[in-house]
Amino acid sequence: MVKSNTFHCSVITPEKAVLECDATSVVFPAHDGEMGVLLNRAPLLCKMGIGALRVETAEDKQIMFVDGGFAQVVDNRLTILTEQAKTPDEIDRAAAEAILVEVQAMKITDEATYIARDKAIQRSKVQLKLTKKQ
Amino acid sequence: MANRRVLIKRRKAVRNIRKITRTMQLIATARFQAAFTRAIATKPYSEKLAELVADLSKAAEGVDHPLMHAAEGIGRSAMVIITSNRGLCGGYNSNVLRTAVEHLDRAKETGLDTEVHMVGKKGISYFKFLGREMVERITHIDDAPKFEQIEPIANYLMGQFVRGEIASVHVAYMKFISTGRQQPEIMQLLPLAQDEQADADEASTGGGEAETQYEFSPEPKQLLEELLPATVRTQLFQCFTDATVSEQIARMVAMKAATDAAEDMITTLTRQYNRARQTQITMELLDIVGGANALT
Repeated sequence: MVKSNTFHCSVITPEKAVLECDATSVVFPAHDGEMGVLLNRAPLLCKMGIGALRVETAEDKQIMFVDGGFAQVVDNRLTILTEQAKTPDEIDRAAAEAILVEVQAMKITDEATYIARDKAIQRSKVQLKLTKKQ
Repeated sequence: MANRRVLIKRRKAVRNIRKITRTMQLIATARFQAAFTRAIATKPYSEKLAELVADLSKAAEGVDHPLMHAAEGIGRSAMVIITSNRGLCGGYNSNVLRTAVEHLDRAKETGLDTEVHMVGKKGISYFKFLGREMVERITHIDDAPKFEQIEPIANYLMGQFVRGEIASVHVAYMKFISTGRQQPEIMQLLPLAQDEQADADEASTGGGEAETQYEFSPEPKQLLEELLPATVRTQLFQCFTDATVSEQIARMVAMKAATDAAEDMITTLTRQYNRARQTQITMELLDIVGGANALT
């Protein structure tokens, strides 16, 4: 870590630690829009939304689908806790498409179903978008 | 003669069984290794989550959340019982089920009706045999429980709890303590235990680190409202991973015992066979000698 501009970034799901690396820049989907993190970011605790997580290390870039969770920054360590994290290779495009069609046909009866539908649509749309880039 | 052949047949059968049980033991060992690695991999998430809850509850000055209080005067509660889908694992299922049934009966005495969510075919057939009721039967969770599979169960239970339909949620499972020790345990999932929070608080302040001034988004209280359900989900998920590890250990031990027993039996059978053979030879010799004597 000599005069580098990297900070530690880890992505953890309940099943395993998905990613541990030294990143130069990370952009994650916060609950109210995307948020970027660079070196020496002030301590932060933030709820995340559904979207694409972009991690840039000195050598390469990574992109990942994350579904909610929390992000914490302390002492140049970014920890992303999410219940689901998928790389584009892991996304099943056909399944995402099928879900999208299914939820779009879903009827809204109350607020809860509205939120559930909205989230499901967002989830599949992000996944589709990520796989298209490949 | 007949006796000898029977002994040979039996010995052959026992040898075959030993072959099978030994293979099953090896498979269980391999599965245990995999399950164990998976169980270890869940630790960072839950630890980090506990840390966040501790940090947040400090910032939010006291925690108050519907998941932490049981509504008064409800005569119902729920229990998740985790058993295995497959047998041949010794006392694994019966231990969990016995503990669970004891708990259910005790709850009944205090006037609580418990809804049982049964996981695993073995538990289902046992409860069917007892004629007990189950509100839900789950058989699709296998050796490698996925978070997506557990999440709906946790969400459903939390929903019921928050709506005040049930007073508490317990989980009966085989807790993995070490490779040599597993214990059937009843864990209280809901309401969230308050003292655990205090412990987490203490742990983080005990470290003597300066308190970090976080930037919160959204407000700490709202964040906490999201975090606590996540904690519950993780806790339930960990019960499942623990249970699979314990199941594989139980199967490993049971199959080891079976292999050893088969070995002992083979030794005994071989001895019996040799004796029978010897007896027969002696008899034949006696016959010949007797015949020869009669001629002279």
